[in-house]
Amino acid sequence: MSEVQKKRRFGFFRWIVLGIIFLGVYAAWFGPSVLKPVSPAVILSPEPIWPGLKILGVYFSNTMLATLIADVILIALAIKTSRFLKAGNLVPSGVYNVFEALFEFLWSSVEGATGKWAKRVIPLVATIFFLIFTANMIKLIPGFESIGYLEQPPKGAAFAPVPLFHLGSATVYALDPAHEVVYETDAVEGGHAAEAGDGHHELCTACQVIPFLRGSATDLNFTIALAVIAVFMTQVYGVMALGPGYFTKFFQLGKLVNGGIFGLIDFGVGFLELILEFAKILSFSFRLFGNIFAGALLLSIVGALIPVVIPPGLYLFEIFFGAIQAYVFYLLATMFISMAVVSHAGGDHGEAHS
Amino acid sequence: MNDPVAFVTGLKLLGAGLAMLGAIGAGVGVGIAASGGVQAMGRNPDAAPIIQTNMILGMAFAEAVAIYALAVALIIIFAAG
Repeated sequence: MSEVQKKRRFGFFRWIVLGIIFLGVYAAWFGPSVLKPVSPAVILSPEPIWPGLKILGVYFSNTMLATLIADVILIALAIKTSRFLKAGNLVPSGVYNVFEALFEFLWSSVEGATGKWAKRVIPLVATIFFLIFTANMIKLIPGFESIGYLEQPPKGAAFAPVPLFHLGSATVYALDPAHEVVYETDAVEGGHAAEAGDGHHELCTACQVIPFLRGSATDLNFTIALAVIAVFMTQVYGVMALGPGYFTKFFQLGKLVNGGIFGLIDFGVGFLELILEFAKILSFSFRLFGNIFAGALLLSIVGALIPVVIPPGLYLFEIFFGAIQAYVFYLLATMFISMAVVSHAGGDHGEAHS
Repeated sequence: MNDPVAFVTGLKLLGAGLAMLGAIGAGVGVGIAASGGVQAMGRNPDAAPIIQTNMILGMAFAEAVAIYALAVALIIIFAAG
């Protein structure tokens, strides 16, 4: 291996990498101020993709758009895979290979956990895994969370926009970190009447970028929706496996009646299990949201402070964490479902429905 | 103290930072889980897949505490008052 590398001492790609690094250093510290990185505005809630755009009375947010894109990618890949299966080729190739490897990986762990229920459980948990994985991966594409329309933040510090070039009738602006404008809520009202785009939107003097696309999991609505689905479906699988007797896990009336003082304790423990189900929603959603939001925050803040060598490493880290978080969500959902489908009170009504 | 708004903002940020102290325990917990997992895998490499799965599961539970702390910190900064 080392022999081969010694021959190609003046490789081609390393010069490209070196050139990119030098360009980055120039842009970050020596070049015109437009090229310098802008310290990010931290916004917790997702923003509408266009000011005031509502669909069915709900703001159509940039995270929804990103989730839709992830959905479209997944559906396209699934259609391609199913076409490949229907074509009847015996030799796997391309996208099908990736899906087969991933599916076998997921299938082995689902089957290990839930046994004979694996065939019914895997559509749910694998869909959750693929959706979170795809959403976490496409959010790392450059342009996410950085291209958008300009808006005046309610208060604080922001940057003045500088026109870059014209795209058709619209003007494209970049934020100029050299012109920082600090103001209170009422100090600067509105903005100049300079027109941007179709002329409906007044240009602000101190702006923050509201991105068109933002990672799905940086929106708490996305993660809570997935968590509610996972926990609700856990109960559904439990009822499917054990019948109505599943709920004796939460309300242990039988033990209360003929268990004496320990029956009372068991009854209380059952209530704790009920609370635990709601705690699952909280921990599912905040785990995914916290990891991905903190990752996005870390990327933008470190990218503003040290824009040259560190961010690629952090991007690698984010790829790893996006995959791990999707896997953890999937694994926990599988484990909770496997705990729900085995009988709590011992043998009797667990086998009856098999 | 002359500017009450700045004072409250500073206290909010301080509170958020203090809330993140909860990450200490989670860090220790994740470290213990990883250490135990790696030791177990070293002793019994054949059981590595099972150990790895359970290790990641335990890490996820330990990490949840840090995530709660993060949620509290974010709420203090962005949502509260």
